[in-house]
Amino acid sequence: MKSPASDIFAISYMRLAGLFMIVLFLALAIFAPLVAPHDPWKTEKPYLSPSGEHPLGTNDIGQDILSELIYATRVSLSIGFLAGFLSVFVGASLGMLAGYYRGAVEEVVMAVSDMVLLIPGLPFMIILAAYLSPSMYNIVLVVSLLWWCPTARVVHSRVLQLREMPFVEAAISLGSRDSYIIVHHILINSKEIIYAKLALSVASAMATEASLSFLGLGDPLSISWGEMIHFSFSRGGFANDMWWWYLPPGIMICASVLSFVMIGMEPERMHKTVEL
Amino acid sequence: MTIKGERQTHIFRKLMRYGFTLFLILSLNFALPRMMPGDPIANLLGEQARRNDPQTIELLKAEYGLDVPVHIQYFRYLKSLTRLELGYSIHKNSSVAGLIAARLRWTLLLVFPSVVIGSILALLLGSLAGFKSRSPTDYVLTALFLILYTCPTFLLAMLLLSIFSFHLGLFPLGNLTTGGTTGLKYVLDIAWHLILPVISLSLLGASYKFLVVRNSVSQIFDKQFVVAARAKGLTERRILMVHVIRNVLPPFISMAALSFGFMVSGALIVEIVFSLNGMGTLIYDAVMARDYPVMQGCFLILTVFVLAANLAADILYSVADPRIGGKGT
Repeated sequence: MKSPASDIFAISYMRLAGLFMIVLFLALAIFAPLVAPHDPWKTEKPYLSPSGEHPLGTNDIGQDILSELIYATRVSLSIGFLAGFLSVFVGASLGMLAGYYRGAVEEVVMAVSDMVLLIPGLPFMIILAAYLSPSMYNIVLVVSLLWWCPTARVVHSRVLQLREMPFVEAAISLGSRDSYIIVHHILINSKEIIYAKLALSVASAMATEASLSFLGLGDPLSISWGEMIHFSFSRGGFANDMWWWYLPPGIMICASVLSFVMIGMEPERMHKTVEL
Repeated sequence: MTIKGERQTHIFRKLMRYGFTLFLILSLNFALPRMMPGDPIANLLGEQARRNDPQTIELLKAEYGLDVPVHIQYFRYLKSLTRLELGYSIHKNSSVAGLIAARLRWTLLLVFPSVVIGSILALLLGSLAGFKSRSPTDYVLTALFLILYTCPTFLLAMLLLSIFSFHLGLFPLGNLTTGGTTGLKYVLDIAWHLILPVISLSLLGASYKFLVVRNSVSQIFDKQFVVAARAKGLTERRILMVHVIRNVLPPFISMAALSFGFMVSGALIVEIVFSLNGMGTLIYDAVMARDYPVMQGCFLILTVFVLAANLAADILYSVADPRIGGKGT
């Protein structure tokens, strides 16, 4: 048997590493103009190989890829955070209402989330994104529309446990209003689950955004990492083995998604948070 | 109520839910092109249709029934679906149903082996990691699958293609066949072309299932019946193979079957990278050309397909596990 202390260390090391990586990404996004060697929109000679002047070469219209990569951090992180927050907000609210009030509300919320989980995600988002105009906010909307379900289900089952607990019964018998109980007892006691889900939702949102952008459904005015790979793939970068064009954004996607997953996933309780 | 009756009610409820989802998807497919701002003709027929002269557009409107009230349009739409009429792609100059019919089996040929291989891989390695929880084997496997889990599908596929086909020249660079072969040679040729795509998709499917299996196995090892089995003097091997795996297996099979939608989504992207002529490349071309009828047709067919697969899995599972549908579920 292992001592409980090793568990705590394992958890916090993983979380600390994830947090550290996220801080790095945030710094990169905020200080992009200071870090980037060139103006990402300025065009020079296209299809240059890596050199001292352009460490990652230039793309098909002659923009410096390293600068583009650094600026894309802003787009990818913004979409990830916005969509993650929105989907967790919607999911947690619906999950709490369904778990606390039960009855018809519960039936409807659970049935709708069942249905959304049944629909194959990518084709569904493709069709929505294709009809909406390609912009960052529409991508956020489309991604959140799909990702609120896992949060709603986990929060719902947590609230089902909580509402049977003595302190909630006590609050009810003291005549507290429902809104007070939900905010001061239910929400407070499910906050750990919500935090974990938030980190996982941001990770999922970033991964989904990357897939949508890879398919060419991203915002052409604000290039994300997924979109950089899309352009590299559709405009000859991949076919000509220009790995410096598609590999760096790919590594950035992996690293950022991994850092959020590391925060949201506790090793011993992984199955609870992973299970959709 | 008898147990059998309860199970029937359970299956009936499931059927209702699937039926309602299908209805919702059909309605969404009907409503989207009509709700969007802009020209419904352009939305229904693709951007090219707008270039026709006004008289032709009027004719087209009449032909597509856009001149009658919405509820009649809806009934006509449902009726046309029963005849498998999914519209016409002006861009590809052929019927959407025909396009999909030619592509769907290739996507299925990619998805089915990947679901099976990915599940077996996840079950074997996942139980090994869960069995040897907190050992070096466990750490290496978990780290590996965690990285695979976070790696976007297209990147994994691109890397495999670049390394094994482009640089090492072991596999073809894309497409489904070399052409000009028949019989057994043709089958082997296709298998050779499908190896890398199937590996990419299997790893994608295995990554998520691995994490779930690893955790269930390591948790079951803490249960009382395992302690009892140890007290009986059974070997660890026998406990894993007979007592633990048996408890992981039913939920695992259901999870594997229900991952179908997720795998179809992955297959679309893998196909694009390997330029296989399946549904994925069809959707990709349609997105590029804003060919709405094709996108909608593909979405509809894929959804129906995933719904059918999930329903079959659900029913099989509730028949196989008598506890499902009884009291307490």
